[in-house]
Amino acid sequence: MPRYAHQWLLIAAAFATVILMLVLPLLLILHQAFAHGLAPVMEALTSNDMGHAIRLTVVVALITVPVNLVFGILLAWCVTRFEFRGRKLLTTLIDIPFAMSPVVAGLCYLVVYGSQGLLGGWLADIDVQLMFALPGMVMVTIFVSCPYVARVLIPLMQSQGPEEEEAAVLMGASGWQVFWYVTLPKIRWALLYGVILTNARAVGEFGAVSVVSGLIRGETLTLPLLIQMLHEDYNTVGAFTAAGLLAAMALVTLLLKTVLEWRQRV
Amino acid sequence: MSIQVENIRKSFGAFTALHDISLDVPTNQLVGLLGPSGSGKTTLLRIIAGLERADGGRVLFNNEDVTHLDARRRRVGFVFQQYALFRHLTVADNIAFGLRLLPRAERPSRRDIRDRVRELLSLVQLDNLAGRYPAQLSGGQKQRVALARALALKPEVLLLDEPFGALDAKVRKDLRRWLRRLHEQISVTSIFVTHDQEEAMEVSDKVVVMSQGRVEQMGSPLQVYEQPASRFVFDFLGHINSLEGLYDGHNWRSGDAFLRLDTQGACPDGALTLYLRPHEAELAAAPTEAAHLPVRVAGRSVFGGTVTVELEPQGWGAEVLEVELDRVRWDALQPDRQPALYLLPRRLQTVTCDGDLGPQVAPA
Repeated sequence: MPRYAHQWLLIAAAFATVILMLVLPLLLILHQAFAHGLAPVMEALTSNDMGHAIRLTVVVALITVPVNLVFGILLAWCVTRFEFRGRKLLTTLIDIPFAMSPVVAGLCYLVVYGSQGLLGGWLADIDVQLMFALPGMVMVTIFVSCPYVARVLIPLMQSQGPEEEEAAVLMGASGWQVFWYVTLPKIRWALLYGVILTNARAVGEFGAVSVVSGLIRGETLTLPLLIQMLHEDYNTVGAFTAAGLLAAMALVTLLLKTVLEWRQRV
Repeated sequence: MSIQVENIRKSFGAFTALHDISLDVPTNQLVGLLGPSGSGKTTLLRIIAGLERADGGRVLFNNEDVTHLDARRRRVGFVFQQYALFRHLTVADNIAFGLRLLPRAERPSRRDIRDRVRELLSLVQLDNLAGRYPAQLSGGQKQRVALARALALKPEVLLLDEPFGALDAKVRKDLRRWLRRLHEQISVTSIFVTHDQEEAMEVSDKVVVMSQGRVEQMGSPLQVYEQPASRFVFDFLGHINSLEGLYDGHNWRSGDAFLRLDTQGACPDGALTLYLRPHEAELAAAPTEAAHLPVRVAGRSVFGGTVTVELEPQGWGAEVLEVELDRVRWDALQPDRQPALYLLPRRLQTVTCDGDLGPQVAPA
């Protein structure tokens, strides 16, 4: 327990900051959304644009999360179970999406896959459109959220060491059996944690998706993009309803994460 | 099943872990790989298990080349230093793990697996812990579960990496006697790695002393102790006292001290170092004609029937010497009443100036 006034002061300052910077804005979102009662909110929620944006957001997350789940496990396995030249470089490269602004990532994809881009001409020839469509949005979302699973798993698998896997191999387990019966049970909570983080990022991504989506209403608008669009249209209730929805998703994720952290400790 | 290791070499980057190692382990023997850390013993064990690939050389089980056989098909039992029990499985499930992975045709029925687990648990004296998780076990219990698990598939080769390394002294001693007895009960060829000379001496049929990736000596514990092949082996097996002096063909001298030694011409005149094991000397109130080594008692510790005495050389040498004496004889000597004490070595190992071991001699 803090014993001096200045210690209490510091704690009070921390609480004030959290309330002022985090909680209050969240509450204001809800307040704004419900400013004119429940009816406009329901109307906004049932509008076509909103329905489409929710579906699109979920589809993007549903593709992104499994891809990054597999990618993250493979990467963590590779980095922690084998010694090879360039291992350190690889672990550094994983962090590129963390270090880079998402907008830059979106632009990079545009430069490579867009119609004026490096592969754009060839892609157009075989009639494949990646940019300004779902594939491109999924690609950039995968890019920006790919480090989470690996980043959660690598330190854990490093600390657990390879002995249990080696013991399983010596008892006749195949690679797949080792993974299924030994590795996966050891990392399952951390893995779930990684998935939750990936999901949160995938659902909330704005910058990169905004660049490659082309912002086509009713076609390539995810929830974050829709919020921006509605806000620019002075559709306050719509914007804040969508924002409230997204915030609620985030809170559920946060709750899940807390539960998992508690489970991991037990 | 016999194990042969032929000319195994292994490097990690610029570091050579094993230089051209060859070993021969006959069926049902228990062999201890003994050496300081970094001597390559664990690497050798892992190569035999198939967990590590050698850069050159062969490993044979019953004269059959298994060098390129995958670890999962070698059918060796392996006990890890840190046990490596599956933390998410109970003791019983840990032991049954290998049995349940067998292809359907070879896999025992559920009931047979249960019986086998029970049999193994009773073999390692842990009958009532079947439902526990590894985190709920003590170190010694974990070690025995690891052993039961390694034996579940009835391997003909059992490899143990520092099996008692992480346990306290008392448990170590119990467990290694128990391992010795167990090894006599079941027919399995075992190799275990240890850095503890006492452990290697007590448990093994044969000891392989390793240093810096080379085999220094291989033989029965008695042989290795009594007839060390190199200075390293002599040095590594127990504490030694090193006496430095000059030899003139008849006498070894250092300050006021001398020893009459007949090396039958094996040691040239000049600098001669003598190694003395702590238990190969007596203490007396008077020197003899062949040995004059005046000392003063600097410290003592009594443990059981032995007294370990620290001796300061008087007028020769510099280092404090350590000797172990029988307690009855020590008391009979009444060392506190003697004006002077003299060390009488029974046996000395000569070390020539180029560092090789010479003959073992006694003052006469």
